Formats: sequence, C-alpha cells, structure tokens
Amino acid sequence: MTRALLGTVLAALLVPASAAAHATLKEAHPGEQSRIEAPPTEITLRYDQSVTATADSIIVLGADGRRLSGRVSQAAGGTVVRAPVHGLERGEAYTVRWHEISADGHVTNGVFTFGVGVDAPSPTEAVGSSGQTWRDDVSRWVLFVALALVIGVVGIRLLILPRPVDPRVERRIHLLGTFGAVVAVNAGIIGFIIRCANALQVSGVDLLYSDLSPFAESTRFGIAFLLTTLGYGACMTILAIAWALDLPSLRWPAFLLAIALAWGYSLSSHQATEPNSSLLGEVADWVHLVTAMLWAGGVITLAVVVWPLAPDMRRAAFLRFSRVAIALVGVLVVAGTVVAIERLPELDDLWTTSYGKILLVKIGLVLVALSWGGMHHMIVRPRLERGDRVHGVRWSLLAESSVAIVVLLAAAILVNGAPPPVETPAANATPAAASP
Amino acid sequence: MLPRAEIAHWLFAAGFLFFGLVVLAEAIVGPAVFRQRRWRAYLWPSLALAAGFWLWFIAIFSTFSTLHLVAHSVWAQAATAAGAVQLAVIRGRLHSSYWSLVTAGALFVSGASFLVHEQNGWLFARSAFLHHLIGWTLVISSLFPLGAAFLPRRAIWAYGFAIAWIAVAVMLFADRDIAPIFGHLSDLAGGGSR
Repeated sequence: MTRALLGTVLAALLVPASAAAHATLKEAHPGEQSRIEAPPTEITLRYDQSVTATADSIIVLGADGRRLSGRVSQAAGGTVVRAPVHGLERGEAYTVRWHEISADGHVTNGVFTFGVGVDAPSPTEAVGSSGQTWRDDVSRWVLFVALALVIGVVGIRLLILPRPVDPRVERRIHLLGTFGAVVAVNAGIIGFIIRCANALQVSGVDLLYSDLSPFAESTRFGIAFLLTTLGYGACMTILAIAWALDLPSLRWPAFLLAIALAWGYSLSSHQATEPNSSLLGEVADWVHLVTAMLWAGGVITLAVVVWPLAPDMRRAAFLRFSRVAIALVGVLVVAGTVVAIERLPELDDLWTTSYGKILLVKIGLVLVALSWGGMHHMIVRPRLERGDRVHGVRWSLLAESSVAIVVLLAAAILVNGAPPPVETPAANATPAAASP
Repeated sequence: MLPRAEIAHWLFAAGFLFFGLVVLAEAIVGPAVFRQRRWRAYLWPSLALAAGFWLWFIAIFSTFSTLHLVAHSVWAQAATAAGAVQLAVIRGRLHSSYWSLVTAGALFVSGASFLVHEQNGWLFARSAFLHHLIGWTLVISSLFPLGAAFLPRRAIWAYGFAIAWIAVAVMLFADRDIAPIFGHLSDLAGGGSR
C-alpha cells in the first residue's frame, strides 16, 4: 500500500505539464505557417480564454509591407478575434502580427506567416523581421565555448587521462563539465529568444510575453532548440549526479549525449537550409564541430587542470593528448574542407563574398592555433619524452586555448551567416520553403 | 495535448506536498531515526533532481510565452542544484553545513522568479495573488536553510522548511487562473472573468 501510494505520487510529479497564467493562442485561421489554396477574407484567432482586443490587434502585411487587414472585432465571449483582409492574391506569402490583453492583464504578442498557393516562409522571414545581429553571434560563441567544456574537457578526461586521478583533478573536471552544461543550456535558450526577437520586433517587457511557439514548432532551429535544451538539461543532471555520487563513469552517457546533441547545431545552422546542402555536408559539419570541441577542450584541460593541479601527470597527459591531437586535427581539417567546398563551390567566393572573407579569417586563426600546437608537438613533446624539465608550458597552453576560443568566435559568426546563394533548380522552384 | 494550467499546478502541488511531508517527518523523528532505512535519506535529493529534470520538459513546452520558458528553466536549474548538493551531503561527499546555502539560494531565486513572473498587483486576480504569495513564501523560506547553514543544530529550520513546502502545495492546489480574489477583479481582466 505504501509503495503504491509512493509510486502514484511520484508518477504525478513526473508527468510533464505546462502552466499558463495568461491567454495563449490556441488556433489560427489560416493556420500558422500554413499553405492555403484560396485567399482568405478574414483572419481568425482563437484564444484559450477571453482577451481584450484593440483595433490593431491583428495586422496582416503583404510581402511589400502593405497593410491588408481592417478593423478588429471579437466573438465567442471574447475568445475569438477577427480581422477582415482584402487584396490577398494567390502565389503570395503574408505575415500576421498580433497582440492582445489577456485576462490577467498581460499583453501577449506573436507573429506567423501563411502562403496562398505557395509554402509559408519561416516566421524568421516574416515581413518586418531583422536579420541576425551581433547578439546572435555572441550567444552562439558562448554556446561553442560551453560545448568545448562539456564535450572537450569531459571527453579528454574519459579518453585521455588515466584513472584514478588526483581528487583535485577530478573535482575540477566535474566543475568545468557541469559549468559547461549549465552555460550551454542557458546560451541555447538566450540564443533562441534573441533569434525570435529579431522576427517579433519587440523588446523589454513585451518580449517576455511573446509567443515563441511558431519558431519552436516550425523551424529547424526551433526544433533543434527544443531537443538540445532538453538534452543539455539531462547532461547537466547526469553530470551533477556523477559529481554528487562520485561516479566518474556516469559521465560517459553525458559525454555521448552531448556529442549526439551537437548534431542539432549542424542541423539548425543557416547553411543546412541552403538548396545545395547534403547529408554529407551535415555529417561533415557535425564531425568538424565535435573534433574542434575535443581539441579545444583538450588544450584547456591541460592548461587549467593538469598543469596546475597534477605535476606528476603532466608528461603522460601531454604525450597522450599530443598523439590524439594529430588525429583530431586531421579529421577537423578534412571535415572543414568538405563543408567549405559545399558552401563555397567557387574558389573566388573566398575573397569576393563576406562569408568567404570571414572563412579566410577563421582559416588564418586556425593556422595560428595549429602552428602553436605544432610547436608543442615538435619542441615540447620531445623534451618531455626525454624527461627534461620544460618551463612556461602552462602559459603557452593558455595562449593556445585563447586562440582556440577566438577561432570559435569566427566559427559562430560563420554559422550564423548565410553563404552566397547557389543557383539550383530546386531553389528556383520553392523560393520561400527554406526555414533555417 | 497539454493539460490546463490548473492541472499542472495540482500535479506539482501533489509533488510538493509529498516533499514537504517527507521533510516534516524527518524533522519530527529526527535524522537519526528517519535515516535508519538508508533509502529515506535519498528521498529529498531524488525528488528535487526528478523535479528539476522534468521541469525541462515543461520549459520546452512553454514556448507560448518567453517568460514561462525562462521561469521554468530557472526553476529546473534551481531544483537540480539543490538536489545535487543535498545528494552529495547524504553521500558524505560534502560535510560543511554551509552547503545549505545552495538550497537557500535556490529557494530565493525560485521565489524571485515567481515575483518577476507576475506583473500585476496582489488583488488583480487569484493567479496574481497566488504568484505573489508563493513568490514571497519561497523567498522568506530561504531563511530556513540559511539558518541551518549557520545554526545547524536547531530543529526549527527543518520544521520551517517542511511547512513552507506544504504551504506552497496548498497554494498551488487553490490556484485558478482567472477567478476573482476576495471578490475583486480588475476591469482590465478579460470579459469571461467578470
């Protein structure tokens, strides 16, 4: 009886649910991101509770920015808001921007698109949306650095460092890995909200009550956001339990999950939606990302964990990582080349397009980092193998880590940027179907 | 299909009530008796960690509002942090009573999230009233683990902590989003509520 009660209560606690305090949009006609065949005569929004609408609670915009909606009316006890529309034509896509005052006084708002005889564009391409900004780049950069901690530091501990290790080393690995997971999940959430705000064109308090569901449910980056948020939340929990129970082997599932989740960032990048993107390109992008994180995380681990905390482990750790780093860099370069060729099929794109120029900067930074690594391999490694005492290695590793972190910034800008358009028959047939 | 807000609140109220009763039972009989069966010691951190993990599910289903997405993710992280630290204490990995400050911080942050999450006044509607009440209850109840950090031998902290969670559970059971509170409802509230 006691166990049954306990099980019932736990089951009740574990059922996922949602708590809403203000009105939410339950249904729209035409539907969010829908394709309809005949132009509608009115836009209808149905909420889960009564709302207070103003004359401008529904604004319908054509591709040229013309307003096509009329004065708003309400029905069904205030739960339905309608606006007549005029001048809509087949073959065009339209943007609906809405806002209302819900029963609890919150002003909620949102945006969605629909197409008449054509596919609806992504809500990020709604009329009035701004492109990605430096905020998107910074959030993606922070995310990459966090991934270097989760995948790189935890991975190097599992794959390179011997066991058992000094408890202080283990503690710092736990700290860096868990911190990385916490930052990854929060950077993902902030990045998602920033990207939605670009399309919603609201800020401050208004943004707090924005409906983000069209972005979460109908864009690749939204779906990737949902999966990675849940996944890195799980990673965070697993790493925290591994620390609390002192079970280092429990980090394996977190590490493998983090590697698998990195696929989400490849899928959600701007390039993945280009007409010439392929499965090979996506796999190469994922491999490029994971190997970069392992390499950067490895250098960071040597610099901030092994060197200051475990002098007796320095030689073995450095030599083992040195061997692995050669393989990592090899795979990194091959995968990066495949991705670059797919995105820039013409060589002169490298210096004639902004994307190509950023790529050149990134390649230059990578060459600096690789040269630094090569110096370690050619000069430090032989001395350590002979058992010589080598000074200044920690600072050199820290400097290499810093270069790696700058490389991640260039990578973040590249991922958020759009490569030059590629003319393909498919691209010409469905110009509005892409949704990054 | 997502359940209505009241259902979600009631589900979590059930969990919080169970959690509060577990902690109250430990406070009444004392840790030595309560933990004679070892698994009982793990109830508190296990419930916190489970709540933290499942709050991520709620967070990703809360994209209908930025604020709900952020608030649920904050609660998820607060619960995970408190659960992990308590688990480490139970396992003997952490010894200092000052680790109780993590639970105090988690409660404070959770309460602050509730208060930030509600932009209306106390008497706007029942949901607003309860958001304020729950927020302040959590903020004030952060004093109990704070007290336990500096004066760990006093039982009052454990009693206060347990009763705070039982009180939060009762508030959540009483929650209904658009009902009037003390007969008052703002004119700004929707027509269906008046």
